[in-house]
Amino acid sequence: MKFSYNWIQELVSGLDIAPVELMKRITIKTAECEGVEAVGAHFAAAVPARVLTVEPIGGSHNVKAVVDAGPLGERTVVCGAPNCRPGLTTVYIPSGTELEGRRIERRVVSGVESDGMLASAAELGINKDHEGIVVLDGPLPKPDHVIEVDNKSLTHRPDLWGHHGMAREVAAITGLALRDPVDLGRILKGEPVFGVDIEDLRLCPRYSALVVEGVKVGPSPLWLQQRLTAIGLNPINNIVDITNFVMAELAQPMHAFDAAKLTGQTIFVRNAKPGERMAALNGESYDLTPAALVIADAGGPIALAGVIGGMESSIGAATTRIVFESANFHAASVRRTSTRLKLRTDASIRFEKSQDPENTVRGMARAVELLAMVAPGARVVGGLSDRRAGFTPPPPIELPLEWLVRKLGREIAGADVRRILEALQFGVEEARPGVFSVAVPSWRATKDVSIKDDLVEEIGRMEGYATIDPKPPLVPAAPATENPQLHFFRALRRLCAAQGYNEVYNYSFLSEADVERFGLKAEAHVKVANPISVEQGLLRRTLIPGIWKNVEQNSKHFEAFRLFEIGFEIHGKQAQLPEETPHLCAAIYSRAGDAQQFYEAKRLAECLMPGCELRPAEARSYEHPSRAAELLWRGETMGRVFEFHPRHIETGRAVVLDVDLHAMERLTPADRRYRPIRKYPESAFDLSILAARQALVGDIEKQLRQLAGERLESIVFQRQYEGEPLPEGVKSVSYRLTVAAPDHTLSNEEVTAVRDRLIQGMQQLGYELRV
Amino acid sequence: MMEGQLQQLAASTLARIGEAATPEQLESVRVEVLGRKGTLAQISKDMGKIAAEERARVGKLLNAAKNELEGALDRRQSEFEQAALQARLDKEWIDVTLPAPGVRPGSLHPLTQIQQELEDLFISMGVAVLYGPEVETEYNNFDALNIPPDHPARDMQDTFWLSDGHCLRTHTSPVQVRGMARFGPPLLMIAPGRVFRNEEVDPSHEHTFYQLEGMMVDRNVSIANMLYFMKTLLRHIFKRDVTVRLRPGYFPFVEPGFELDIQCLICGGPGCPVCKQSGWVELLPCGLVHPNVLRMGGIDPDEWSGFAFGLGLTRLVMMRYAIDDIRHLQGGDLRFLRQF
Repeated sequence: MKFSYNWIQELVSGLDIAPVELMKRITIKTAECEGVEAVGAHFAAAVPARVLTVEPIGGSHNVKAVVDAGPLGERTVVCGAPNCRPGLTTVYIPSGTELEGRRIERRVVSGVESDGMLASAAELGINKDHEGIVVLDGPLPKPDHVIEVDNKSLTHRPDLWGHHGMAREVAAITGLALRDPVDLGRILKGEPVFGVDIEDLRLCPRYSALVVEGVKVGPSPLWLQQRLTAIGLNPINNIVDITNFVMAELAQPMHAFDAAKLTGQTIFVRNAKPGERMAALNGESYDLTPAALVIADAGGPIALAGVIGGMESSIGAATTRIVFESANFHAASVRRTSTRLKLRTDASIRFEKSQDPENTVRGMARAVELLAMVAPGARVVGGLSDRRAGFTPPPPIELPLEWLVRKLGREIAGADVRRILEALQFGVEEARPGVFSVAVPSWRATKDVSIKDDLVEEIGRMEGYATIDPKPPLVPAAPATENPQLHFFRALRRLCAAQGYNEVYNYSFLSEADVERFGLKAEAHVKVANPISVEQGLLRRTLIPGIWKNVEQNSKHFEAFRLFEIGFEIHGKQAQLPEETPHLCAAIYSRAGDAQQFYEAKRLAECLMPGCELRPAEARSYEHPSRAAELLWRGETMGRVFEFHPRHIETGRAVVLDVDLHAMERLTPADRRYRPIRKYPESAFDLSILAARQALVGDIEKQLRQLAGERLESIVFQRQYEGEPLPEGVKSVSYRLTVAAPDHTLSNEEVTAVRDRLIQGMQQLGYELRV
Repeated sequence: MMEGQLQQLAASTLARIGEAATPEQLESVRVEVLGRKGTLAQISKDMGKIAAEERARVGKLLNAAKNELEGALDRRQSEFEQAALQARLDKEWIDVTLPAPGVRPGSLHPLTQIQQELEDLFISMGVAVLYGPEVETEYNNFDALNIPPDHPARDMQDTFWLSDGHCLRTHTSPVQVRGMARFGPPLLMIAPGRVFRNEEVDPSHEHTFYQLEGMMVDRNVSIANMLYFMKTLLRHIFKRDVTVRLRPGYFPFVEPGFELDIQCLICGGPGCPVCKQSGWVELLPCGLVHPNVLRMGGIDPDEWSGFAFGLGLTRLVMMRYAIDDIRHLQGGDLRFLRQF
């Protein structure tokens, strides 16, 4: 929202703080300002000028004009405007003035020395008219400053969507008096010409209408146009400009209908009927549903309530009789309609903030006053038509001073509380000693201020938060509740990083192409209903596509690397929140890859889950068919280790470890117990088993372990060997086995017995032993 | 006669010891002269043949010669050992400037690092760390935080809605709701995590970023208490005292609501490009918890009050490391990540 400094100054008597300083104070006390900008600075140097003579310049479409520039005397300028004629009063810009970012210099044009220039309304920033030099219709507009306030910080303040509301804040900040631009006496009593029929007073708590005739539609005076242009509104014509001016001043959106184009003498406020359609002022046509509130005449919708007017009943050059609308609509209803039609207008932005129903007649009174200034000859016909819902002002808020002091954390005098609230036009009475009874003004009562906590803000901000000294809170001295997941995740991250893995963060989003590349169906995913792009259409139910992308991209820059992510898989559930499963996904890449990466990934798994094992698994579409394994720990599936299918990796090899961290955390032992250190020496011996090449070493080890029995202390893989003198397709696998007993030193016979049992047992299982 | 023989033997043996070029030669000298059947042993045997009165004197000479020769042999022996050791050590020369093999430690993401740092700080202050889901109910994300449907404040947070009717959390504030339900008052908690806004991505905007929500609920919590907590927190984050200011800010779940600014750490107040010449940098939204939020969290606002704040972790990371493009954080590029 843009605020004109001049406008505020007109409403706050004696305001003389510089615009930049005012902006800072508004930021500290009221709402965040985004900046201040000088507009129309050239008006400081410009003067009204009358064209005295105009001479054509041979061979040029320009003319040589001599103007009477008042205090500057006569000046000669070269002018290209078609409307430059003697007798015209226009605006003269002397040489040396900055205009539209360039400096006007004395120079020779078409062979004539031109000193300064005559400007168009567009060049002066009054409107968009470039057609000719401006025709001055009154005093010269003044230089101004525009303060831009962040709209988000006005979300709760319906009153600050107009200059009068901001002026009230400025008056309270500065201690100056606020001037009310509204004279309710402008609304005369009388029988209304138009009837108003409101179907649902909840959706339209108030509708005021007034008929004006004798209207001559034309441009507004320049001062009004300049004021609208300065704050970013487009001047249209005098009638529309009045409605916009009232909106910008009082935050009350208004509308004007061409009465001649209305059917009947009644304005209906009702829900749209199925199949109704309306052509709006923006040139679009809207199909309406009964959820939309419309303004209608006997013939159908003439406006979308609180959003936009209709094209058919709009003000045109031929309009002579108008109906002014100044109404109040239900915030949520306006917001829903505006959201559904994707149509945010100056009116809807204001109404969705819950405007004050008391404001409609004030807006109308201000419009009538402006009418006299900008549309001479126009006259009000009949009295005000004013329908409204029954209204009970909210009860005053009880504000105990002692409670306020506790909330602020500093002392404050009752007199200061009263002063501040009264400056903001709250009604203040001391109901009992130490307890104020605070009446909320109507423009703050719609939503913004309803409980005593809301008043803490009013007093705190105006007194200044800088006056509050920090105080340590009194809290129980107790250790914080532990978060086991925090420690679990940290240990994992630490370990992965120590093993050479770099942590990445990937998005929670995937595209359909992403999931299809990994053999998943888009339908299986939770979908984003309003994605920014197709890249973000689905929520990931695996981290692998993200990690794959990381591998692909980094393989362009590095020969070898390791990376990991800890993130959440999102699995949709019927009628409840999705299940979010934390996963660890780690990858090892090597451009000159061999089988080593696979065992490195397995080693990481063993570091994380000591004693885990891999079992060959049926490969998924993106997995290397001979290098895919299921990861088991404590008898449960924890995840997978696999190499990407060569189809998925352009050059090199990448192996992935994917672990379900919920499962892993559940199985991670909470506490450990000490096992006494063995007192008696152990004995070790080696065994070499001959097996088929594809026999699993893990199986051989398990069989040995079973056969060895309780005396087995450890079994350590030594090596495997293929080649001469072994026959083709046979490998030798060597283990060192250590045996011991807790209560004595094993005799040679005992050790031999274990060894013999192993040899015989393995032979019975069909293995040969190499002795 | 024997005396002369002894002297000659000693002299010639000493010469041979000195001349021995290898430990083997030395050993053969030792065997020849000092061995059990060696020359000295032979002389010793012949002692019986000489006169008794001579025997004591010659015996002494014999012992002296034996000791002298043994000493010489030992010295020579250790010279050989010393030389052998030296030779081995010389041979074991390595180039210490060769690069060390093996895997280097990886790295933690800068967001992880700052999150852990802040978690540790809060834990040291007795604050519980809670995590919440990425997908939230509309109720937890909005309604329970005093943002009813059709409230214009919903525009402040462009929301990703999901096909199942839920949404991606737009802030970590819903963890407040979960925290109140789980623990009740008094409550001192933070909730770091990933949040989402439906925004186009550019160097300073992301649809996915990280926040840290904080909430304290106790008896008689005041703005002064909140200020104290915030200042303490910021002093630890920035490792120095920071000047802060509160100004009004609107967030439906707090009342009053504030924007907390810190005095620009670059210029210290006079204004510079970082603070857009204002001298202040907007850092975090905070406020006293709105009574409606407490009530919806099952906490009686007449008995309890509290404050809440939201820290932008992504923003802190970017400030700390002077990162100029937010997209690096989720870009997965090791050229970036290896710097942390």
